[in-house]
Amino acid sequence: MYAAWTVKHKPKSLAEIVGNKEAIQKFIEWVKSWEKGAPKKRAAFLYGPPGIGKTVTVEALAYDYQMEFVEKNASDYRTEDAINRFAGLASQYSSLFGGKRLILLDELDGLTGTSDRGGVKAITEVVKTAQSPIVLTANSAYDPRFSNLRNYCLLIEFKKPPASEVMKHLKRICVLEGIQADENALKFIAQRSQGDVRSAVNDLQALAQGKKRLTYEDVSWLGYRDRQETIFSVLRMIIYGKTCIGAKQAVGMADVDIDMLFEWIYENVPAHLTDPHDLVEAMDALSTADLYRGRIRSTRDWSFTRYVIDYMTAGVAMARQNSKVHGWIPFKFPQRIKMLSRSKAERAMQLSIGYKIKRKSHISAVRASKEVLPYLRIIFKNNVEMAAGLAKWLNLDSKMVEYLAGSEEKAESIVKLLS
Amino acid sequence: MSFEIWAEKYRPKVLDDMVDQKEIVERLKSFVESRNVPHCIFAGPPGTGKTTAALCLARDLYSSAYREHIMELNASDERGIDVVRETVKTFARIRSIGEIPFKIMILDESDNMTGDAQQALRRTMERYTETCRFILIANYSGKIIEPIQSRCAPFRFTFLPREEHDRYLKHIAENEDVNLLKEGLDAIFEVCGGDLRRAINTLQAAASLNKPVDAKVIYSITGRAHPADVQKMIGIAMKGDFLEARKQLRDMIQKYGVAGTDLIRQIHKEIFRAEIPEQWKIRLADVVGEIDYRLVEGADEEVQLSALLARLVEAGWELEKAN
Repeated sequence: MYAAWTVKHKPKSLAEIVGNKEAIQKFIEWVKSWEKGAPKKRAAFLYGPPGIGKTVTVEALAYDYQMEFVEKNASDYRTEDAINRFAGLASQYSSLFGGKRLILLDELDGLTGTSDRGGVKAITEVVKTAQSPIVLTANSAYDPRFSNLRNYCLLIEFKKPPASEVMKHLKRICVLEGIQADENALKFIAQRSQGDVRSAVNDLQALAQGKKRLTYEDVSWLGYRDRQETIFSVLRMIIYGKTCIGAKQAVGMADVDIDMLFEWIYENVPAHLTDPHDLVEAMDALSTADLYRGRIRSTRDWSFTRYVIDYMTAGVAMARQNSKVHGWIPFKFPQRIKMLSRSKAERAMQLSIGYKIKRKSHISAVRASKEVLPYLRIIFKNNVEMAAGLAKWLNLDSKMVEYLAGSEEKAESIVKLLS
Repeated sequence: MSFEIWAEKYRPKVLDDMVDQKEIVERLKSFVESRNVPHCIFAGPPGTGKTTAALCLARDLYSSAYREHIMELNASDERGIDVVRETVKTFARIRSIGEIPFKIMILDESDNMTGDAQQALRRTMERYTETCRFILIANYSGKIIEPIQSRCAPFRFTFLPREEHDRYLKHIAENEDVNLLKEGLDAIFEVCGGDLRRAINTLQAAASLNKPVDAKVIYSITGRAHPADVQKMIGIAMKGDFLEARKQLRDMIQKYGVAGTDLIRQIHKEIFRAEIPEQWKIRLADVVGEIDYRLVEGADEEVQLSALLARLVEAGWELEKAN
């Protein structure tokens, strides 16, 4: 009932997608060209700003043309193993059941940093010899990292759909949800989204869910959704704040929750506070703010939030005494969040293994996932028989075995011993 | 070699099997003899036999039918007040059939219970004393509210003495046909610091490599927080590169799964080994201690430890100036 509307009302078929008609046509033709054997460009690179339907287009096409759809996103294809596995998929056109296959590597921008440099190269290799169509998506195709990869791809630009198109999509959702919406209310939401359909749908849900009617008054009080500019000025107000009040007020302007704002501050403070004493003061303030977050968790008393805010804003602002910043220092997106969101699925897996351990031993699932699991991992990597025995004893499913073993081949040899 | 988690396989079954905590075991045995058990708090560091003692007590008391008379709840998994209101109460109020008129509720990791839940528990303990006795297990009894503490007999568990620790591991190694070398045993003690469960887990993981268990094997599997990595991180911070030091820290925590408390322990050790003026060592130790405590209170590992790194940056800078 409370599913995200971006998921619930995601276009299933190409006909339901708003905007980008030309781009979609170009994409369809390229996929069709595979009927006559692999074309010169074996990958299509869909690029454009977030939330305008790149991924949805690929999914809808696979649906309309009944192709087997294989998706990997940024979190999946970093490891060599994963790329090799995906290379295997890409090497044949037909899938197991004779249908045609469409492979999507989503969010290529997610491959950042030096550690992933090999990733783009490996993908390029796969693209060169692919036997089934590969689709890549990213916000920008012109990142220098993709310069070589670009040569082997058909570039298809996706543009922000005009507000009128976004409105069409919002209207469709309102009809399905049984909401009577004023024309100008939807228009406001559509314009505000600046072409980001996904954020428009999110806004619509936030404003309209559970209502029978949506009026202009319901939506007009909203300001413009924070594009990164807002968070930057909020950070500036905090890190370079002169008064406690000023720094604290920044919280109200931020369009992110307190925890996320904390991460932004925590990520960016060190680069802006160059004096060691200032740095210590600021990090101490953040550490104390964090301590209060812990206290909120253990007492469930949310009123402590005000102290979290005090320390993470005013505390940080007042830390600045001697730091002199030379030149322009850009604000960075919290790296930790990137890493955390990548490992969210992983933590869910760890906890489910934790529950299996808990059943067999007198230890909490949470602790088992932290304390026992690392040892299991070592065992599963090194000793197939012991692993099989433990897998049986703990009643692990094949996904868990694969996770612990770290590779499909290892997992297979363990599972073989089980039967 | 057998295919269970050894820490479970070699968990003592009855009080007589327990190798250590002699005084506690004696008192628990006297409970069994008198067929009466008060509410208890078992407090002490991990891996010292608290849960085992509770289970052994139950087994000795009820013998084979013990499963029907006890309930184990783990506050880390079920920590809210609803659990106390529903699960705990339901179990506690139903009278048990048999010669012993009460059941035993084992609340493990109860220092993770919320304040509300503890308040609710206090009533329940009082009201259903006739039908149910509680054993609260915790690392720190201080995190259990005063009114509950005053209703319980306190038992303080301590780390096993080194000889007992060694004897136990050697016994397992022999049984499982593992070639455990002396230096391997030393390394296990060094890494696990007397936490027997962790020590046994470490031994089992080491055994999976099918070669003699020496110090190198132990360090490689506990892999994380290699002393060299910690030294390196401290060095980078003292040279003033906070961002790089934080990156190292982040990698250790997120990529290699090093526990914050492990890092704290090692940093603490390194500080006293480092070549810095003596006065600085104790000043930094104070900071380390505070951070350690904050971690225990449930704060974020990376945020806390990077506050410590900032202190090291400052220390390095001050020392530079002084020279």
